[in-house]
Amino acid sequence: MRGAAIVTGAAGGIGKAICRRLGEDGFHVVAVDLVAELDSVVADLEADGLAATPVVADLISVDGRALVADSVAGTGLPLTALINNAGITRDARLVNLSEDDFAAVIEVNLAAPYELSRMLVPTMAAGSIVNISSRSYLGSFGQFNYAMSKGGLVGLTRALALQAAPAVRVNAVAPGLIATEMSMAIPEEQLSKMIGSIPLGRMGDPSEVADLVGFLCSEKSSYLTGEVIVIGGGRSLAQ
Amino acid sequence: MLIRCHRQELAAALASAGMPDAGLVFVASDQPGGWAGVGEELAEAFRLTKEAAALPAPVVYVVSNDDLLGRRGPEQAMVACGLLSAARTAALELAKARVPVNTLAIESGTDPTVLAGWTRALLEPDAPTGELVRLGTGHLGKALP
Repeated sequence: MRGAAIVTGAAGGIGKAICRRLGEDGFHVVAVDLVAELDSVVADLEADGLAATPVVADLISVDGRALVADSVAGTGLPLTALINNAGITRDARLVNLSEDDFAAVIEVNLAAPYELSRMLVPTMAAGSIVNISSRSYLGSFGQFNYAMSKGGLVGLTRALALQAAPAVRVNAVAPGLIATEMSMAIPEEQLSKMIGSIPLGRMGDPSEVADLVGFLCSEKSSYLTGEVIVIGGGRSLAQ
Repeated sequence: MLIRCHRQELAAALASAGMPDAGLVFVASDQPGGWAGVGEELAEAFRLTKEAAALPAPVVYVVSNDDLLGRRGPEQAMVACGLLSAARTAALELAKARVPVNTLAIESGTDPTVLAGWTRALLEPDAPTGELVRLGTGHLGKALP
């Protein structure tokens, strides 16, 4: 075993793929989410002989974060990877964005990874943290709250990279349009238009994001820290 | 013009720089403290920017170069980088109205009158939008935020 790897937002499309990638790479996956579907995610991993522990926890609460730490201790393995993947959207144009929707996104997408990292980094003797940001951190119409949270996560990545070096490396991944349940809910016409603006001509697959995360958690990326890697099919270049 | 600035020397220079009547200048706090402070800082930026967007009026966020690169710790970095992404998003939303939204990054030794001059320029109707202007030389050869 390469140690324990925490994956938050483990029941979502990208989260599931990351759990599988890290499980196949030899980590004991501590899969964290709020929803009951988590059990089936872990059952699928275990059916393939991969080591995983489900943790239903609300990462906004102190108790929820403590439960995650206890679950890592329960594996008997050192924590060597932390993937801050959990995130939500509450989209609206800035002039229509409510205080509640602003606060909810900032809490889940930024406060939770900040507090979780603050609690766990001192326990890590070595390893890698990967924060799942978004291409939206470059600016995204109708996503003032989401873009701010994902930009904040980039800032957290840079500061932690400096603080945790040399023992722990910290990087961010910023996915563009990925084929998850969330993006499949976009109206077909709008989705086609979005895909048309991607030079590679398609949505990304969650496994492609997971492969990048696997790389960042491996020795193959041993000289990388403090970076933001956009995985978006070239969308950041096209009109 | 609304100037939100907790640093006296910068606030004085900004107030005397002949700013346009309407707009927002939001100078990020140097020491937001723990999460509570970060959350309050981002929430205040949201509320004030929403008010400016409703007019619509131009916006300049002022952050630290060091914080964009995470040099002074996670709290300051989350605020600075969060504001930069928020400015890019607000710029997109106000582009049709031709109202600029920009970010200005300064160093500890930046002359307040220089900051005020650049701020005023970035609030002008013909200013660029969605841009990051970094004063000083500490960013040269370093990461592009």
